[in-house]
Amino acid sequence: MIALYNSKTWKLSSYIIALVLVVPVLVMLVGGVSTSTELFTHLWQTVLPTYLENTILLAFWVVLLSLLFGVLSAVIITQTNIIFKRQLRWLLLLPLAMPAYLVAYLYTDLFDYAGPVQRYLRAWFGWQSPNDYWFFDIRTLAGASVMLALVLFPYIYMLTRGAFEQQDQNLIRASRLLGLTAKQSFFKVALPLARPAIAVAASLVLMETLADFATVQYFSVNTLTTAIYDTWLGYGDLGAANALASILMLLVLFVVLAEQRSRAGLRHQSARPNLQRELIKLSISEQVIASFFCWSLVILGFLLPIILLIVMAIQYSDVAQLSVLLSTGINSLKVSFFAATIAVVIALFLGFYQRLHNDKYRDMPQRVSGFGYAVPGTVLAMAMLSTLGPLDHWLNATAEFLGFTAPGLILSGSLFAIVFALVVRFSAIANGTIISGIKQIPQSLDYAPAALGANLKVTIAKVHLPILKPVLLMAWLLVFVEAMKELPAVLLLRPFNFETLSSQIYQLISDERLEQGALGAILIVLFGLLPIILLNKSKDKS
Amino acid sequence: MLKKLFITLFVPLFFITGFSATASEEVNVYSYRQPFLVEPLFNKFTEQTDIKVNVVFAKKGMAERLAREGKYSPADILLTTDISRLIELREKDLLQSVNSPILNNAIPKQYQAKDNTWFALTTRVRNIYSAKRLGKIDLNYEDLADEKYKGRVCTRSGKHPYNVALVASMVSEHGEAYTLDWLKKVKHNLARKPQGNDRGQVQAIHQQLCDISLGNSYYFGKMLSDEKQKVWADEVYINFPNQQNRGAHINISGVAMAKFSPNAKNAQALMEFLVSKPAQKLYAETNMEYPVREGVAASKLVASWGTYKADTLPLEEIAKNRKVALKLLDQAKFDL
Amino acid sequence: MSALLTIQGLSVELQDKKILSELELTLNEGDILGLVGASGCGKTTLLNAIAGFSKPNKGTITIDGHLLNGKVINGNMLSDNKYFVPAEQRQVGMIFQDYALFPHLTVKENIAFGLGKLKKSEQLKQINHLLTIFKLNEYSESYIHQLSGGQQQRVAIARALAPKPKLLLLDEPFSNIDARLRNELMVEIRLLLKQFKMTAIFVTHNKDEVFTFADKMAVMSEGKLLQFDSPSIICQQPNSYQVADFLQLGSWLPCTVNETTGSSLLGDFQIENSNSVSSGLVHLLIKPSQLMLNVMVDESSIANAQVEYISVTEQGYHYYLSSLEDVIMPRMGFDTTGTAVLNESMRFSKLSLYSDIALSLKQQVRLSIKPHHFLFFNKPN
Repeated sequence: MIALYNSKTWKLSSYIIALVLVVPVLVMLVGGVSTSTELFTHLWQTVLPTYLENTILLAFWVVLLSLLFGVLSAVIITQTNIIFKRQLRWLLLLPLAMPAYLVAYLYTDLFDYAGPVQRYLRAWFGWQSPNDYWFFDIRTLAGASVMLALVLFPYIYMLTRGAFEQQDQNLIRASRLLGLTAKQSFFKVALPLARPAIAVAASLVLMETLADFATVQYFSVNTLTTAIYDTWLGYGDLGAANALASILMLLVLFVVLAEQRSRAGLRHQSARPNLQRELIKLSISEQVIASFFCWSLVILGFLLPIILLIVMAIQYSDVAQLSVLLSTGINSLKVSFFAATIAVVIALFLGFYQRLHNDKYRDMPQRVSGFGYAVPGTVLAMAMLSTLGPLDHWLNATAEFLGFTAPGLILSGSLFAIVFALVVRFSAIANGTIISGIKQIPQSLDYAPAALGANLKVTIAKVHLPILKPVLLMAWLLVFVEAMKELPAVLLLRPFNFETLSSQIYQLISDERLEQGALGAILIVLFGLLPIILLNKSKDKS
Repeated sequence: MLKKLFITLFVPLFFITGFSATASEEVNVYSYRQPFLVEPLFNKFTEQTDIKVNVVFAKKGMAERLAREGKYSPADILLTTDISRLIELREKDLLQSVNSPILNNAIPKQYQAKDNTWFALTTRVRNIYSAKRLGKIDLNYEDLADEKYKGRVCTRSGKHPYNVALVASMVSEHGEAYTLDWLKKVKHNLARKPQGNDRGQVQAIHQQLCDISLGNSYYFGKMLSDEKQKVWADEVYINFPNQQNRGAHINISGVAMAKFSPNAKNAQALMEFLVSKPAQKLYAETNMEYPVREGVAASKLVASWGTYKADTLPLEEIAKNRKVALKLLDQAKFDL
Repeated sequence: MSALLTIQGLSVELQDKKILSELELTLNEGDILGLVGASGCGKTTLLNAIAGFSKPNKGTITIDGHLLNGKVINGNMLSDNKYFVPAEQRQVGMIFQDYALFPHLTVKENIAFGLGKLKKSEQLKQINHLLTIFKLNEYSESYIHQLSGGQQQRVAIARALAPKPKLLLLDEPFSNIDARLRNELMVEIRLLLKQFKMTAIFVTHNKDEVFTFADKMAVMSEGKLLQFDSPSIICQQPNSYQVADFLQLGSWLPCTVNETTGSSLLGDFQIENSNSVSSGLVHLLIKPSQLMLNVMVDESSIANAQVEYISVTEQGYHYYLSSLEDVIMPRMGFDTTGTAVLNESMRFSKLSLYSDIALSLKQQVRLSIKPHHFLFFNKPN
């Protein structure tokens, strides 16, 4: 490919931007590794093994449950003639819009001793005290696993469904003509071929689980993430907290590497797959069971929680809440708006650099900048603080040196930290979307305008950008929504007296006063629905 | 040239950060105490002195923030809800001593720092709430480890500052070995994993999940004035432990001045206002705590709970053992 | 030779549209049948029906004496669903257009896929045998994406032949192959199939392949078989306008005929030797070699055609000629109903002719018909 452009400044800027996005994590890692506090040894001898054990157990159960929910539902939807298939197909995606900590709170409310379920049971059976009967305790590791699996399984469902739907049915036919029944063909051909997609989705679920903070904190399940939080804010030991964060990063890295390896298994696929499939016809009893399974997921993962929220909102909302909602809402919007816009601009910058240049490592800046997605929010917050604090001081010192009055802590003490963290975390989404969008533009369009006398800026502005408009919108929206929902990083980095919707909701939850913020919670869910609806629409179009 | 570069690179940042310069008479407060508690006091102060009070509220992380901000921190006054945080701030060298006879005279000796770096504003007791169905009991904190309470004790996280202070006082009184053993035994007696907050434990007693819980004194008053929570409070006695020996464990809410305070004079004025009679009375009535200034009575409701003997161990002593307490809690795996 | 495949009265409807109507077909063991027809005529549907991927509405399919979609009890044919033999039990093999090789398995595993029911030792023997015949030994551990198109096709065939099917179906097997390799490949594969004594049906839209590759040819149109015979017979004796037209066996000249004479815009001619034909308006299938070209036109030799298209081939210049606009028939003919046949329906537009003589576009010439065994057809509406 002929390099259309060979700008040294562009190249340099790209590398610098990528570096800037990665530096905080590096600083944290270095800080953590070089920390030799006795605190760390103490932790290691006492509670750290339990933290680790809890973290790994939680991850294990969440992935297992999510696989069960996600793969099974994908198989039912793609391979059988289940009733209401068209509706279920997109309904099963909805739980993605629910933050896990919201579901956790609502179900605790529901199943607690004082909650309606147990009250009803006691009234019905005449039990008086907790010693009279056994009821499961939801605030345990098992409970947290179920909560997380309920809202994360749609990742697996979505990717597995896509994999099955795109499969060339001729492969199944070939298998059948070679003597295997439809069922055998599914297990020996369809399922193995979907494995790379399933693996990618599972690693996504795993990363989200490791990053979760609010749910496990609410359930008093002590994982590495809660340990990081506590160590920093309880012991006040940034070094030890960084060390813990580094361990968490190692776990995440492990997951990422495993996922990369499985990605290698995505082999070539026919250019014109035969998508016409023969659906398994379910008997009446099979229909009942399958429907029960799928509808349970939809109800438990989305419908029931949202109904509970709406009821709560109707019962408890008052005018005072609206003003709080407005201010926190605006804060959320502000922060997310900045993050989304910056992320998209960076993605465009790096994406076009990759497209129009020819040096060997031209996709490095973009790849590197996307690394932040794997970093859990809490860890990222640590990294920000370790980096921006000293930077602020340097800035101030420099300002004074140059004769200005010190501006104060403009980086670490302000929105800059949050916005920066969000950009680092979600650049990957913007990158991925925009890169694939740029790939769709035919190469000829890079050269044609030049033949008509237009220079590069004009070409990009007048030709490429208009074509990319829907992709840009999608990327912006995805980052915007993720930023709206993000919790751990916001909690740690926000300036005082600055609440976003997510932090406000979380605050209320830990005070057991969610009713005061039900409206806000509904708002978060609605925002979460936006990209799901858009994704669905665009998938149907393609 | 360098100036120009500086401006072009960093001015846009100011837009994002919403940074703006301020200039009038004012004082900046970083507060662990919730806004609705302290705002009435500050309004009164501004009425009297014309000094504007800017409050930033932080549930966690104030000390870390101050440490990071360093000499560029805008904080003047720090309000905390317990002694541990004050000591932590001092340990990190974030405070400065305040030379104020008014403060020294208004506050009993054991409730202010010897080096004038921190001052208590109110006191609170860490009570033991017990189910009325048990009848009246006379408990010591040490009794919580007793076999007979197996499966009947509830508490919030051991690492919450209120509990950490209590554990630290146990260390001061009994030493590390005893306290570690005590912690393990108490953990053994827990009805459920430490979770929720102090009021949540009383709710658990009401639900008959346990019979005994730890909780601060003012929560009792708060529960009684809440429609939903009154039901819980009505089913428990509020007990002042260790009345036969050293007395109940006391904690404080306090105030200190930040090391790099930009408005030191105004800050001192505010601190002195907070120990004045009217301010102390407000504290007592609004939050149902015990005012630190002698001569200012507690609210009627609070007084109705009875007089009690307080542990006279200097708070500084207790706070010294804070880190040890945390380590012991980890060793006992209390929360896990 | 016995009939391996018998299809009787086969009708298949898809989404309320009749794709196959009352199709009849018999194929002998060891024969390779080439199935041609325009797109949408039902070739793929027929393959799918034979393979067991679509259920017929009416009719029967029998392979090697086994009825695949029904049961004869007491002389009555019962086509119940429960008698429908599923694809995996039919012992029919298929080569798909994109080969449908399993990407997650090696070449060896692909070939072994249908041999699960054999003992391990038997499997190994079979696999090695096939690997050798298809010259795939050095690729046995490779994955599909590492092979070239030709190699992939060999794997596809080896895999299909491994379980020794009774019938092999091939769906456009050569359409993905480079034109230069195509012939080589066809010969090679035909040899292999004959070696295995395989009965096969292959579908193609390229009729030329049938001559090299197949023993028999079937022309399909709109769900029915128009003609089924050896390729040479079909080409010499097409049985209908559609067959002749689809196979492009010549160009069409409209004529009116009676027992002994024919009239066309090229003039009159005597009919001595022809296929049986009704009187009236018919179409004559005429090959370039049956036309005579006269370049000199004057009063005695009137022009009756003009050049519309010129190209150069190894047979000399190739022309398409159309009738002249203003020619008037010296004598109009009459069709069967006695109606006078107008000039318009007698016009021709693409008579094909080869010649060494150079003509120019729109040049007017005189064509005449050499006597031969005339083939007249009625054009369907």
